[in-house]
Amino acid sequence: MTSDRGWTFWVLVGLLVVGHFVLHLAIGLGATAPDLLTPALLLAARRIRGAVAAGLGLVLGLLQDSLSLDAFGAEAVTLTLLGYLGSRSRDLFVGDGTVFLLVYLFLGKWLHDVIVYALSGVPAQAEPLTWLLVFAPLAAVYTALAGVTAVAAYRSVSGER
Amino acid sequence: MGNYFDGTRRGRRRDAAVAGGFLLVAVFLLLLPASYQAPLRSAIRGTALRPFLAMQAELTERRVRREDVSQLRAERDSLAAVVAAQASLAEENRRLRALLGLRGRAQPEFRPAELIRAGVPGAESTFFIDIGAKDGVVVGSPVLAPGGLLGVITEVDEHTAQGIDWTHPNFRASAMTSDGDVTGIVEPRRGRFREEDLLTLTSAPFHTDVRPGTRVVTTGRGGIYPRGIPLGTVVGIDEADTGWRKSYLLRPAVRPEGVTHVIVAIQREGQGGDLSPLWQPDEPADTGRAAAEPGAGEQRP
Repeated sequence: MTSDRGWTFWVLVGLLVVGHFVLHLAIGLGATAPDLLTPALLLAARRIRGAVAAGLGLVLGLLQDSLSLDAFGAEAVTLTLLGYLGSRSRDLFVGDGTVFLLVYLFLGKWLHDVIVYALSGVPAQAEPLTWLLVFAPLAAVYTALAGVTAVAAYRSVSGER
Repeated sequence: MGNYFDGTRRGRRRDAAVAGGFLLVAVFLLLLPASYQAPLRSAIRGTALRPFLAMQAELTERRVRREDVSQLRAERDSLAAVVAAQASLAEENRRLRALLGLRGRAQPEFRPAELIRAGVPGAESTFFIDIGAKDGVVVGSPVLAPGGLLGVITEVDEHTAQGIDWTHPNFRASAMTSDGDVTGIVEPRRGRFREEDLLTLTSAPFHTDVRPGTRVVTTGRGGIYPRGIPLGTVVGIDEADTGWRKSYLLRPAVRPEGVTHVIVAIQREGQGGDLSPLWQPDEPADTGRAAAEPGAGEQRP
């Protein structure tokens, strides 16, 4: 995704954030709609320094936390960590092919759900193990597919490869 | 992805230190007492998320406008019947109280509101309403749907308020059977799916026997919920604590998933009120029991 027009990438990140709150809050789709906040952060983190990514994660986490009565701060902690880790992932993995993005977003979302679950203690409908090994990975696949689709749409519009 | 950050070791260390600072801020916010978190939540909702909340209120309003006119007419007629029954009862009550030289009993006032759901993790059993402190909503105001009690307000902003519905783990209500024979505490019982969530009437005396079909309503004790708001209908015994207490499973009077409009009781401190006539103006108190009698409602050969 290399381009001189770097601002178009930030438009994508902004659209994902706005889209997340439109789908979940304005339209109220709940779990039917994918989590777009985590892919927005993970994609942005690959382009910015770890500290900036952590700061972005804190801001996005607080936005999400403001809707929760039970675990204010859980999303902020999780997304701050995830932003930093996403940024440092460049040290280990270089490239941004579709398969890599799919795996990167899947692991990021799954890690997100695990940390949020550990911090919030909100009782889940399913048993913890079932939730961690079945429901969370399914949500992660959904999120990864949504993220990759958004990136593919962005590339087709911006001409980036 | 271009523009990779190729910082020096020193730069990376500084980067990690700043990120650690952000993480500390986040942990600090997580550990803050709930009373300090509430204003922060409220400030973020009232600024950055306000357009989204306003958008949801607008979409709900449009959806309602598209509803079937005949259904609206039927609902209006039902409400008119309830209001007429309530008016005659109120008049009779007023005259009797005047005869006895008693002051009129205080009743809560009501405000209609639209219910807004935040479909994000961590907000599963919570909701927002589009009225707030300016309209008289306070923490502890009961939220009612056409079938009965939906939940209670827990945080109030100037123009909006946030509450929990009965599926929230912290929900509790002092309850009794509609005939007043058995009292207990109603709390949520989680199912495998949200649609399977039920209520349980706990701490009922062991020697009592509440039959399936009996209606359970609020007692009015505790100063939160007025008396007589339907909570649910008994479907069977949940568990029996040997020789001490019984718990009964209830089918809830209101399913939170389908509720879009509510009324909020603006209750003044020390005022209770009995809302039973709002739901059963002509119904005898022990309808539930009668319905549960063997053969009740069946045609004889």
